[in-house]
Amino acid sequence: MASARQATRPILQSLHRPEKAIYRLPVRALSTTPPKPAEVESNESTTLSPEQPLPPPSSRNQPARTLRQAIVGSKRRRVALATLGKASIPFEQLPYQCFQEARKVLIADREEKVNLIQRTREKIQRLEATDVAEKGSSVEEKKKLEFNKVIQLSSLRKYLEELKVLADVNDPGVKKRFEDGLGDLNKPIYRYLADRKWRLYRRKLVLQRITQMSVIPDVLPEIDLVADVTMKFGRRKVHPGDWVPSVTSEEPLQINAQVFDHGERLVTIAVVDPDVPDLAKDSFTSRVHAIYANIPISPTDGDVALGKLEKKKEIMSWLPPFAQKGSPYHRISVFVLQNPDNKPISVETAKKQFSKREGFSLRNFVAKFRLHPVGATMFRCAWDEGTKEVMERNGIEGADVQYKVKRIPKLPYKKPKGERFR
Amino acid sequence: MILRRLGAPVRVALSASKSSLSISQCALDFLRVANASTPSPVHTQVRHATHATAGIANGTKNGAGRRLGAKKGSEEYVVPGCIIFRQRGTKWHPGENCDIGRDHTIYATQPGYVKFYRDPLKHKKRKYIGVTFERHWTLPTPPNAPRRRRLGMLAVKMGEDTPEKSVPQQLVDEDAARIAREGKEEGVNIGGGLQSGISADPAIGMTNIRDRARDPFWPWEGPQKPAQDTGGLKMSRNYQYRVSNAEIGRAAQKKGIKVQPFDRSDRWLAWRKTTERLARKAELRAMGKGKKKKKPAVKATA
Repeated sequence: MASARQATRPILQSLHRPEKAIYRLPVRALSTTPPKPAEVESNESTTLSPEQPLPPPSSRNQPARTLRQAIVGSKRRRVALATLGKASIPFEQLPYQCFQEARKVLIADREEKVNLIQRTREKIQRLEATDVAEKGSSVEEKKKLEFNKVIQLSSLRKYLEELKVLADVNDPGVKKRFEDGLGDLNKPIYRYLADRKWRLYRRKLVLQRITQMSVIPDVLPEIDLVADVTMKFGRRKVHPGDWVPSVTSEEPLQINAQVFDHGERLVTIAVVDPDVPDLAKDSFTSRVHAIYANIPISPTDGDVALGKLEKKKEIMSWLPPFAQKGSPYHRISVFVLQNPDNKPISVETAKKQFSKREGFSLRNFVAKFRLHPVGATMFRCAWDEGTKEVMERNGIEGADVQYKVKRIPKLPYKKPKGERFR
Repeated sequence: MILRRLGAPVRVALSASKSSLSISQCALDFLRVANASTPSPVHTQVRHATHATAGIANGTKNGAGRRLGAKKGSEEYVVPGCIIFRQRGTKWHPGENCDIGRDHTIYATQPGYVKFYRDPLKHKKRKYIGVTFERHWTLPTPPNAPRRRRLGMLAVKMGEDTPEKSVPQQLVDEDAARIAREGKEEGVNIGGGLQSGISADPAIGMTNIRDRARDPFWPWEGPQKPAQDTGGLKMSRNYQYRVSNAEIGRAAQKKGIKVQPFDRSDRWLAWRKTTERLARKAELRAMGKGKKKKKPAVKATA
């Protein structure tokens, strides 16, 4: 037994003090794998995307924003970081033969994919250079050929994007970096992984909230969520469907719209409350709480603070959400709408045509400016102890009005037919 | 080891049986007598029940009917809590502004008009019962349309119980109508509380006052708003809209058509009318109308 204890001592020591033990662990060269192959991910940007356009000017000078803010590492990851720190062994040096053999397979696969990418790129270039219309004899035939070329090009580009993801999707280094929150969202693979992670739970949750609480047929007919929209009031995070006290929502909303496709685009953000009581119609109407247009967002920068935007982007300034006493709870829906063809919409026209807050129809607004809804979320508000003060501070009338349920007169007793009921 | 142990007694027994058979037979008889569990020679049989004697099987077979079915017809006016359909299981499902009870009873959650419909987009086979706020609305509503919701509330100044100024006139009217109705019930004003254009005719006030006084629902005029919408129609006792028989009977009077009083002794007028009628008939016959079509006669072939 004593000999066994002696033998296991270094291992036990390494378990207790991993940071010291790491340097003592002998790296056994059991496999034919070279000690340190070229890193898979590092050369991605050079080999994979010479054709990829430059990042948008806003983020060109500053270092690319990483996923660290968005993704907190898994429990395993956090434990590993806490115990090992920066002294962890890189994958290439791990002394596991099977693992290293598997890596070799993955590297070979990646080579194959990179070759395919090269070939696809060349094919695209060749197709772009050729003038297919020359071959056609008649006008109709030329048109048909042109059309075929467009279709072929679009499918080839789609295939190229798929290949870019496939080349790195099995790389343990990429997976590790993504889980660490070090993924660079300018690269397709990290955008793909982030999108997949979002769709796994958070997108489902938002979709459930906006459909179960009927924001979707009430405010807009339908939506295909492609952007992850998160909300904040100051430092308070607001989850979809949360109840927000009126004091909290007095200051303008902060939004993060995370998109998962390449490039910068212009969006318009609208905050709408579809639950405003309408006594004249004995129904509900909607009120707009904010509209800001032509806001640039990209995968690496989606932060929008409604209170800090320029005046020229403002169609409707922020009006704190409120619910009068007794009225049913108000759903405050937030929509991120993409501008058509990435061009700014006219703020002046919008100001003229949609000058009233009450009775605002987002359907009309979207139709008028041909906007495309990409993201949505919501929160709820009801009358609380702070509402009265908030309404007074912001010059909103009606804090002294209370809603009471109207009594519906019962139908009179109807005498049943027949002799025996006389 | 076991074999060796068994060996000796077996060997003894074999030798004994070899020596005399009768001895062993005696031993068997002795055993038979000694053994108490020997079956008796009397044959006994058990018949198991093939028919249940107790329980549901022999109870009453024809219970009373459960009075299931529709309690309100299509487009009938209902208020919240009104039972629309009683059923076992879900023959009908609750649709818009309806809910389902513990025993699958469908009841209204909003005042309005009952609609029976199917919604293939929601479910392929299910039948739904819904309630619409307006009688002419149809169900199901398109899936992407905004929901039609009713506020059903009054705005009141905080700390007071009186409605705000912004309360629509209709609500005030309803209250007024209710007060008028209650007045009538006390017997203050018998013919005067009748609403809408039809009932304003003084003639109706004069007829059947006695019958109405007996009628427990008479002072009730049904919901106010729909009555105004429907023009000449009036909600009858079973909450259906129709033109009353009395109203149909008064059509000529309203148009100002005057009918000559019949004089039995005026044979000249009678002859003229008869001739006119016969001439009209002859004309119709000539045109091929007002006549039964003759079937072509089938001739029997010889």
